[in-house]
Amino acid sequence: MRELQDLADALINGYADRVSKLTNELLETGVEPQTILNEGLIAGMTVVGEKMRTGEMYLPEVLQSASAMHASLKLLKPHLVKEGVESRGKILMGTVKGDMHDIGKNLVGIMLQGAGFELVDLGLNVPPQKFVEAIGMHQPAVVGLSAMLTTTMLNMKTTIEAINNAGLRSKVKIIIGGAPVSQKFADDIGADGYARDAVKAVDKVKELLAA
Amino acid sequence: MPRLFRILNAIYLMNSRLLNACEGRASDRMPFLPAIYEQKAWFVHSTPSIVCRDPELFTQALLAEFEIVRPDALTIGIDVYNVEAEAVGARVIYYDGEDPSIPAVDPDGTIFHGEEDIVNLRLPDPQKDGRMPLHLGVARRVLAKLGNELPVRGAVTGPFSLAAHLVGAEHLFMLTITHPALVKKLLRFSLEVAKEYSAAYVKVGCGVVIFDSQASPEILSPAMYRTFVLEPTKRLIDFIHSLGLRHVPLIIGGNTTKILDAYLETGANNILCDFSADVERFREQCSVTGRAFRRNIDTADFLTLSREDLIARAKKCIDESRGYPGFIFGTGVVPFGTPVGHFAILRNVLHEYAR
Ligand code: B12
Repeated sequence: MRELQDLADALINGYADRVSKLTNELLETGVEPQTILNEGLIAGMTVVGEKMRTGEMYLPEVLQSASAMHASLKLLKPHLVKEGVESRGKILMGTVKGDMHDIGKNLVGIMLQGAGFELVDLGLNVPPQKFVEAIGMHQPAVVGLSAMLTTTMLNMKTTIEAINNAGLRSKVKIIIGGAPVSQKFADDIGADGYARDAVKAVDKVKELLAA
Repeated sequence: MPRLFRILNAIYLMNSRLLNACEGRASDRMPFLPAIYEQKAWFVHSTPSIVCRDPELFTQALLAEFEIVRPDALTIGIDVYNVEAEAVGARVIYYDGEDPSIPAVDPDGTIFHGEEDIVNLRLPDPQKDGRMPLHLGVARRVLAKLGNELPVRGAVTGPFSLAAHLVGAEHLFMLTITHPALVKKLLRFSLEVAKEYSAAYVKVGCGVVIFDSQASPEILSPAMYRTFVLEPTKRLIDFIHSLGLRHVPLIIGGNTTKILDAYLETGANNILCDFSADVERFREQCSVTGRAFRRNIDTADFLTLSREDLIARAKKCIDESRGYPGFIFGTGVVPFGTPVGHFAILRNVLHEYAR
């Protein structure tokens, strides 16, 4: 459908106003909110992810697209809820204690939302106990931990231990990421997955939830 | 007295390995410049939050760094990037007790929220505001002890990274697209802050190192680097030259291969080739333009790295120099708690292998 393609294009270009206008028009003409989400927003954000990977888009441009996506999601949400459309799953994300880097984590959050997941973002410098409480409160399917420092990546281990001790480990899948961490580190600390970048993070989350 | 230190430091600089590298001359071995900030606190068995606010411990930490590491220059700075932002009013989070977390600007403590705030930005007084006087005092003390041993440089935040701290990183990235003229205004302000702080360092007899990693192509496109960052950076470096410093290092982390042309156009004669950047391209272009560059080895696994792997990594880095006299051996930021033995190992490799 041409209008859905227009929506995706406007999203890729980061035109928030145009994305809102097109979303409203599509809703008014009776297009299913789920279709707008899948063929407009998710399709558009997939292209954004690709362009980021190939170096055609950088963070400022991606943030514009993200803000356009949020504008549209805000309009779609009441309709999605009304029609009982479920999100693909809830993801809880945060940068671990002592670490003030959040640019990469936010990018992962954007791409997960762009792929149809619901995001609860705890921000940065998040102590293990706060993760535990938030799991209890939000009951996410997946918990994403981010760390950019060699020293703070050790707090991922502490966080997983706290989740374990609270008896919640079997209720969530845990995925980790950030420049100093690796698949091996993920294995060592008992995480379920690792991804190198935001696009791979989406694939990994899908894979974990399919398993 | 500062004048005397300045002269001594300048005389020493003339003979230093670093100066040789900057001027394309070979030395007995290549210069050794590991990136040591939070690790300074480890050297005095304390935490970054404590040491970065205590002039006595801070000074001791630098003297300990000199003894333990034996680098070819010292840099005044632990939580680099915070000092200028704090001096103009941003809030920095420090940690209590034995918590070794590294202080950083509180994302909720930035000082620029919208266009109307631009009129409220005021230049800091390096003699009074925030921890600028503390850093300058530490510089003076270290120069008094070591000024005739090796170059001492003050860490100065580059215009883009400072703006990111005043505005919040993502907010600034958004503004580059929605309000480019405002970003240019903000960068003009950051430039003035950097000039003030650089001038204060030069006055006590130090060199300066500019850090601007938030302008890395890991984040910002090469086109945006040119549009926003190049001009104020050039002006900062011209200004520092006008203060009588010939050699101005500009440190931008991450893979900067895509901005190498602009990086060289800044006028910095001593740049960073992080471990992920293309060393061949750096060597080629630096040799054509007569610049020095510091090549980093990766430090992400330094806490657990074996002696053998460390040696192998260092040798690989040395090989990458291919005898280029402007090659400086460096490291990524050394993680807090790195075993002090690592530095002796690296020095030995340099000694044996990099002559
Ligand atoms: C920007 C930056 C900062 C900013 C952060 C601003 C912010 N709001 O985030 C500021 C200035 C605050 C900062 C401070 C410091 N920093 Co810093 N910083 C960087 C820098 C330049 C870029 C990081 C970045 O945003 N990259 C872009 C994003 C998109 O990439 P990314 O973060 O890697 O994220 C991707 C993946 O890792 C992955 N990912 C990330 N999180 C997650 C989570 C999950 C679940 C998954 C699946 C994937 C995933 O997907 C992301 C998207 O593709 C890097 C160097 C570099 N060039 O990479 C240093 C770097 C990370 N910093 C470093 C250091 C040392 C510091 C300081 C300690 C410096 C100091 N002494 O003061 C302080 C620490 C403060 C603190 N307590 O945390 C070192 C870390 C070294 C180490 N191994 O320990 C680096 C590597 C610089 C270096 N070359 O040495 N820094």
